[in-house]
Amino acid sequence: MNDLTKVSIDFEQSHLVFPRLIAVVLAILLIAIIIRDHKRILNALPYWKGVFQNMDKMRFLGALGVTLLYFSLMVPVGNIWPNTGSGFLICSIPFVLIIGLLFMHERPMRSVISLSIVSVVGPVSVWWLFTYPFFLTLP
Amino acid sequence: MFEFISPLFLSLIVGGTMVGIIFGSIPGMTATMAVAVCLPLTYSLGLENGLALLLGLYVGGISGGLVPAILLGIPGTPSSITTTLDGHPMAQRGEGERALKIGIVASLAGGLISLLVLYLFAPALADFAIKFSYVEKFLIIFFALTVMAALSSDMLMGIFSGFLGIFIALIGSYDISDGGNGKYRLIPPGTEYWLDGGFSLLPVLIGLFGLAAILDQAELGVPKGHSANDVKVTKANKFSLSVFRGQKTNVVRSSLIGTFVGILPGVGGSAASILSYTNAKTFSKNPENFGKGEPAGIIASESGNNGLTGGALVPLLSLGIPGDSTTALLIGAFTLQGIQVGPLFIGNSPETWNAMIIAMLIANIAMFIMMYFAIRYFAKIVTVPKHLLFPIILMMCVIGAYTINYGIMFDVWTLLIFGIFGWVATKLRLEIAPFIIGFILGPSAEVYFVKSLESFGDLTIFVTKSWIAVVLWLLIIGSIAGSVMISRKSKTRA
Repeated sequence: MNDLTKVSIDFEQSHLVFPRLIAVVLAILLIAIIIRDHKRILNALPYWKGVFQNMDKMRFLGALGVTLLYFSLMVPVGNIWPNTGSGFLICSIPFVLIIGLLFMHERPMRSVISLSIVSVVGPVSVWWLFTYPFFLTLP
Repeated sequence: MFEFISPLFLSLIVGGTMVGIIFGSIPGMTATMAVAVCLPLTYSLGLENGLALLLGLYVGGISGGLVPAILLGIPGTPSSITTTLDGHPMAQRGEGERALKIGIVASLAGGLISLLVLYLFAPALADFAIKFSYVEKFLIIFFALTVMAALSSDMLMGIFSGFLGIFIALIGSYDISDGGNGKYRLIPPGTEYWLDGGFSLLPVLIGLFGLAAILDQAELGVPKGHSANDVKVTKANKFSLSVFRGQKTNVVRSSLIGTFVGILPGVGGSAASILSYTNAKTFSKNPENFGKGEPAGIIASESGNNGLTGGALVPLLSLGIPGDSTTALLIGAFTLQGIQVGPLFIGNSPETWNAMIIAMLIANIAMFIMMYFAIRYFAKIVTVPKHLLFPIILMMCVIGAYTINYGIMFDVWTLLIFGIFGWVATKLRLEIAPFIIGFILGPSAEVYFVKSLESFGDLTIFVTKSWIAVVLWLLIIGSIAGSVMISRKSKTRA
């Protein structure tokens, strides 16, 4: 019995001990979930179809796509004027404007003007705050 | 002793509380999101001033949720869920202002009582925890994970989420500074450069609580805001403190329930307010009035959820285990300043500890003054259009993620990965709170577990090390047995 509880850990392999243990526990839990929720799992495809059918595709996928583009462009644009945070500033202004327009329900001129002001004032203020008083480099 | 008190310190608390109330007042935005978004601002503020801002946001965020709960019947934050039950009926019969002020006073009471518990209890718990070896520390984390999973809405998914959080936290190298061998695990070849230290905590948190929340809203088509007419603060019946006559027990009981729920890791404010509310209803002489505009219901709910604020800081500051998702983010503020929270924190950093207590006290008072005297203006916040707020929040999320490790773009991608993961996770019914706690505690759990075995070479050490280990095992078994019983009871009821 005493030998069963004895454990010797090789330092060279010690980085794998805990991840393996957690992986085993996760596998056991996953099996339990599959057994309990097998009906739900079998209905996963119709469920996800329903999610995509019911979602506001324009706003959801649009927000995701614009965010992806925003993240991708920030560094290349910033590299044109390095260490100035201009990548963040130049990309954030259209990002805020486009996301704002995307999330608007009606687009009367007054709301678009106020959004345009926010999309310039917001990023410029944040860029100034982080670049000067905080001395933090933005992309 | 109180050198940290400066005009900046005070204005950060007041400003933080105000911004927190604004976040809490807008349905879909939470105290956690407020802290996540404002975290990068704490970089240059120093620890005490940074914490002043974040604690103000926390108290304000939890309190602000009562505004839409009462005026619109929509909880601004999950912790105000039961405030809607009696608050909204009161508003509908023209007692909006009275209901709001009852909630505000109850929030103050809950906040102050929990602060007192924090002040008295956390140092004692920390003193006790100093004696813990790796074995007891591992068992404490194991206990925290079992409690957290057991109190999830779906126990099995809760446990799975907690372990998944641990697993993802282990990605990267086994840190040499923690006594590890520095070797990589769980990372695809070629990604060592980015994943050397694994996923950073803060981008993960910001993704899960900032981006995922906005994706949720985008999926629903960003529901339209409310007009000024929807949030008219009616005052057919004036507020008077006499409404609290006979409610002292309710206030104290609810505040203590909230505090206790806060101490339990990973259990959020919604559980605090629901437990307080059901208890108040059970012990009430007029339980039939609950749900129809009974002030005692608002008192229970609001003192319960604000009771959470002090309670959730107890395990964080004494054991290094966050009590809820917002306090998990506070770990980020400490990490930014290079300070590790745990049993030694209060003894080693009395200045920071005092600053936190004072900040919480002032935040509660500021919350009360602002909301009590300017509630009509705060009510209007509910009408602020989301198309102006969400893009700015997304931008702040990017700043937070990018600046966290002094300018690493991979952290911004981490934010996106975990934002999408957060959105998918809710669809798969994974539980975010256990995931987060698992993610935060995973690396420590590994070190404590492996080092215990390296030192003693025997699994029985986890039981035989000390009487504390035995007590912890009893607590672990008790929490698992309790949760199985609760889950069986709810199944038979259904």
